[in-house]
Amino acid sequence: MAKVLMKGNEAIGEAAIRAGCLNYFGYPITPQSEIAEYLSRRMPEVNGMFLQAESEVAASYMIFGASAAGERVFTTSSSPGISLMSEAISYCAAAQCPAVFVNIMRGGPGLGGILPSQGDYFQATKGGGHGDYHLLVMAPNSVQEAVEMVMKAFPLAEKYRNPVIILGDGLIGQMMEPVEFPDHLVSTPSDKSSWATSGMATRKSTQRNLVRSLFLVGNSLEDNNRCLKAKYDQMKKEEIQCADYNIDTDYEALIVSYGTMSRVCRTAIDILKKEGIEVGMIRPQTLFPYPDAIVQKAAWKPSCRVVTSMELSMGQMVEDVERVVQGRRPVTWFGIAGGIVPAPEEIVDEMKRVLHAHQS
Amino acid sequence: MGIKLSGVIVIVGNYGSGKTEVSINLAVRQKRSGVHVKIGDLDLVNPYFRTREAKQALSNLEIDVILPPNQFLQADLPILTPAISGMIKNPGDLSILDVGGNGVGATVLSALANAFSSQDANMIQVVNPFRPFTNTLDGCQSIRKEIEIASRLKMKGIIGNANLIDETTPETIYEGYTFVSNYSKSCNLPLICITASVDIIDQLDIQQFACPILPIERQLVPPWKKPQVLGPKNFILH
Repeated sequence: MAKVLMKGNEAIGEAAIRAGCLNYFGYPITPQSEIAEYLSRRMPEVNGMFLQAESEVAASYMIFGASAAGERVFTTSSSPGISLMSEAISYCAAAQCPAVFVNIMRGGPGLGGILPSQGDYFQATKGGGHGDYHLLVMAPNSVQEAVEMVMKAFPLAEKYRNPVIILGDGLIGQMMEPVEFPDHLVSTPSDKSSWATSGMATRKSTQRNLVRSLFLVGNSLEDNNRCLKAKYDQMKKEEIQCADYNIDTDYEALIVSYGTMSRVCRTAIDILKKEGIEVGMIRPQTLFPYPDAIVQKAAWKPSCRVVTSMELSMGQMVEDVERVVQGRRPVTWFGIAGGIVPAPEEIVDEMKRVLHAHQS
Repeated sequence: MGIKLSGVIVIVGNYGSGKTEVSINLAVRQKRSGVHVKIGDLDLVNPYFRTREAKQALSNLEIDVILPPNQFLQADLPILTPAISGMIKNPGDLSILDVGGNGVGATVLSALANAFSSQDANMIQVVNPFRPFTNTLDGCQSIRKEIEIASRLKMKGIIGNANLIDETTPETIYEGYTFVSNYSKSCNLPLICITASVDIIDQLDIQQFACPILPIERQLVPPWKKPQVLGPKNFILH
């Protein structure tokens, strides 16, 4: 199929349609409003549903409702909007309703700013809403990867009956790259008749289905939480995705970075290589489940003296890096969180500084 | 073939058609040819990748860059600085206005109707046929009408900006040229020029084109890439 030149936000909207999702409920917020704008135009062309809700809270409960009724559904927002949606995300997880959320992160906390950030790593991977739940979190570093992750997100959400979130940053949403929509990622919605409230007559059943997140009787809450935990354990076995760069060398330092920041790091690694300094990179594509074993193995390589987590935040993913490195190598953090994406030269300088501070 | 432009040039088009990159490169080319050039960032709808990002490079060439006040540069607020109105009334040799995308982005022009009343503004549509919604002649016509209604101005010409950024090949340019030539005929508007990145321009057989080519020295790049350095001399086509 021929490539088209698309803005990340437009491509995310188109990818959802190609993946067979014809329901979008949302509320605009910079820097992702183009998703809604694009879908307001495209959804009517495919007989889909586009609805601008009165708030993020309303949109997120429309997602819960549509999912409970057995529909493929998704919404998109940016950081403050995802905070508002977090209650419904927790409800979706508890009630085991599959849905896809996209967070095109902007600077925070609070209203923050409209420029790119990765400040919602904790929110996406460690909870966000209340209770014992996890989202399956995917982080693209290009427009093409955003397309593929969105297309994969729907069958994954249905496989686990759990919300999936795509964690991009403002640059992924705003930048333009040539993209294509791979046919092999088109999927058929799963059979939800055993649990969805799609109507007894529609299902030709005499059995009522009940979707709920309230568990008052006996051990039902404990049982539900055990059931959720089993799903998260299964994700850790089956869904980890990870990329690497310059990892076949005897690198002296390892960078761990994801999303837009990893693109900057890749250029920095090329510059360092020309100067005779080998640095490897692991780029988690799933942030939950986190690629524990892969980061650990790369960090423990004998040639590697130090591990640096490079983030557009004040140090969030670094906690996962420290956890998996288990103190066997020094772990440092470098980050910028004011909306500015650093230049490759700043990463180069930081890696030289870190290597100097951790001489063999 | 030179590109002849003077007075107020209003650059419009659909989202992501390349208006800003075209505006910047047009300003630079005309400035290097000895024309006094002003450029105004009138993109009130897009949060990133605007003319303001090339301010330093343009100022270095002594091109006047008209922007909202500094403290509002990163705000997602539709701020219209009065300097734009002044620029339209007194355009000097050449004033280029880089407008936001689609009808929504062009709406601001109708607020400037008073300033435009004394000027014969040249509104030019930038078209990249590799973008969604402008990959058909009907799509281009409908964007044009949407912009004309929103801006209360008439389209006077077309700039063909066929590209897939880093994946652009000579075939992309040829295919795009055929498309915009047909569009130009279908709406009876002149094709002012087409564009080609300086990275591939030497691979093109320029005899195939009946219009000038605007060489693009890319300025709006992601943070891991460097914008092309804008020297004092124009890129020479061989």
